[in-house]
Amino acid sequence: MADLASAKSAKSKTESGAEDLRDPAYLKIRDMIYQISGIYQSEEKLYLLASRCARRMSAVHAKTPAEYLEHLTVRGNREAELRLLLNEITIGETYMFRSPPQLEALRSVILPQILKAKSAMGFKRLHLWSAGCSTGEEPYTLAMFLLEESEKMLAGWTFDILATDLNDNSLAAAKAGIYGEYALRSTSEALRRKYFKPHDEKRLQAGEQLKSLIRFERVNLNDDSKMTFLKGMDIIFCCNVLIYFDLGSKRKVMQHFYSNLLPGGYMFMGHAESLYQVDDRFHLVHFPGAIGYWKPPVGYTGGGKP
Amino acid sequence: MKAQRLEEIRPRIQALEAMPAVPAIVLPLTAMLHSPDQVDVEKVIDLVSYDGTIAAHCLRMANSPLFGRRNTETVRSAVFALGLKRIEAILLGCCLNRIVPPDKWALDAVTFWRHSLGCALVSRKMAKLIGYPDPEKAYLAGLLHDLGILVNIIACSEDYPRCIQAAREAHVALHRGEEEHLGFTHCQSGKILAEQWHFSSDVIEVIEFHHDVAAVPTCGPLVSLVHLSDLLCRLRDLGYGYYEAMGMDLAGDAAWATLVGHYPALATMDLARFTMDIDGAMEEIVAVVDAVFKP
Repeated sequence: MADLASAKSAKSKTESGAEDLRDPAYLKIRDMIYQISGIYQSEEKLYLLASRCARRMSAVHAKTPAEYLEHLTVRGNREAELRLLLNEITIGETYMFRSPPQLEALRSVILPQILKAKSAMGFKRLHLWSAGCSTGEEPYTLAMFLLEESEKMLAGWTFDILATDLNDNSLAAAKAGIYGEYALRSTSEALRRKYFKPHDEKRLQAGEQLKSLIRFERVNLNDDSKMTFLKGMDIIFCCNVLIYFDLGSKRKVMQHFYSNLLPGGYMFMGHAESLYQVDDRFHLVHFPGAIGYWKPPVGYTGGGKP
Repeated sequence: MKAQRLEEIRPRIQALEAMPAVPAIVLPLTAMLHSPDQVDVEKVIDLVSYDGTIAAHCLRMANSPLFGRRNTETVRSAVFALGLKRIEAILLGCCLNRIVPPDKWALDAVTFWRHSLGCALVSRKMAKLIGYPDPEKAYLAGLLHDLGILVNIIACSEDYPRCIQAAREAHVALHRGEEEHLGFTHCQSGKILAEQWHFSSDVIEVIEFHHDVAAVPTCGPLVSLVHLSDLLCRLRDLGYGYYEAMGMDLAGDAAWATLVGHYPALATMDLARFTMDIDGAMEEIVAVVDAVFKP
């Protein structure tokens, strides 16, 4: 994992210059990022934050973390700088099967729950939504996951995935579905053979079976008129998208997601992202290695186990 | 499978007191730590230095960032860095570790201690966060909450692998497997040993009720605190060593309601952030456990 490699080199760097990491400016930057974007780095992972800051620091010629903090807080271009830093922090977050614990929670807890509730009402159809799908890694992962389950717990069910993004270039790449080694590094040989076809020497292209499950659409999450119509979702993934939104727009988007979800539905975010104080109608549900946000069914009164 | 009744194994549990492996320093040290007179720190240092393993464990812990101290080189500074209460907890951990013969560890020893120490650390962290007055007691209670698993491993060594197997295959909590194959759980057997060893009443309550907080007679906060820490650990890869299929709405848990009753500040606690802090501390927890408890 490239991420890990860079993290390791960052760690060894900070070990030689340990003073650096103890600079209180990093904690301030950490807390500021958390308040603004919801992305959180625990104290033990500050070296990751430090290495991401280091790249931006050399770009803006800031000599110390404290000086860089100024760039993020008082300088005229602070908003642009914050965005660039967030880009650094979330870099490398997209590849297929990025978060196995989320998929395992889907398989072992969430889907059995939703399937049971829906079949009791006579429904046999599932709708997933990858909101902010970027270049498509997430919806294709979900498509493979669902297809793999289609002969097990999803036998007799139909399902589809809505994949939306604001960026036309990303959407075009997502539709083409052509991926190299980085995007596929966690995709097993068996899945590659089953769902992809060779594109050129180094890359594979998603096959028709995957593509036929996914509907790609350009959606601005701030566009109320559009958001109002995307109803009936069972599960929404929205990873590292809301981090760029201010609190007001974040709340608005979450209100939409809440009404877009069916009762009993779930929402997932990026692995270091938190919804704290954004929308307290969602229940924070802990799964092994993952956190989900749950829209409880009407009449839920607690009791610990959704 | 014929369910073994708790009463049948009670004598076996009570006989555990006579286990030979309890280190020689334990009795004088615990007596000293609990004596009504002022504790003589120099004597504690002497005793800790006397047992090489325990001295090494104290040093390892004192040097861990989890305990906020680095570059501790002597037993003396380790004792001061850790404090007497924590020395006692380390001591108990070491003793418990030694009462299980190496070939009897039905549940992997490292997995068990990783879970126990993880729970101790999370309990302490949560205690500090919510303002529970005695974080070191929370630590001790977290460390000992699964004492009954050790009891079962020794006293029911023929049946215990089946309990683990059943729970592992069904992806459920270990006490479900115990109910199925033993007819009682580690909560009940742990209570017997804890009483025998004269643990304090609130720690006994934690051992007995951490899987069933609704049944706690006193509604004390300690058992709720450890119950939640136990769940968080099992949800963050510090569990029993297998995948438990669970989704837990912590804020909807009965223990949570109890705690919020005692500490209203909890109602606005950022649970996601708290969980991510635990995730961050995991690497270090694992390193400490491996250093202290790996056989």
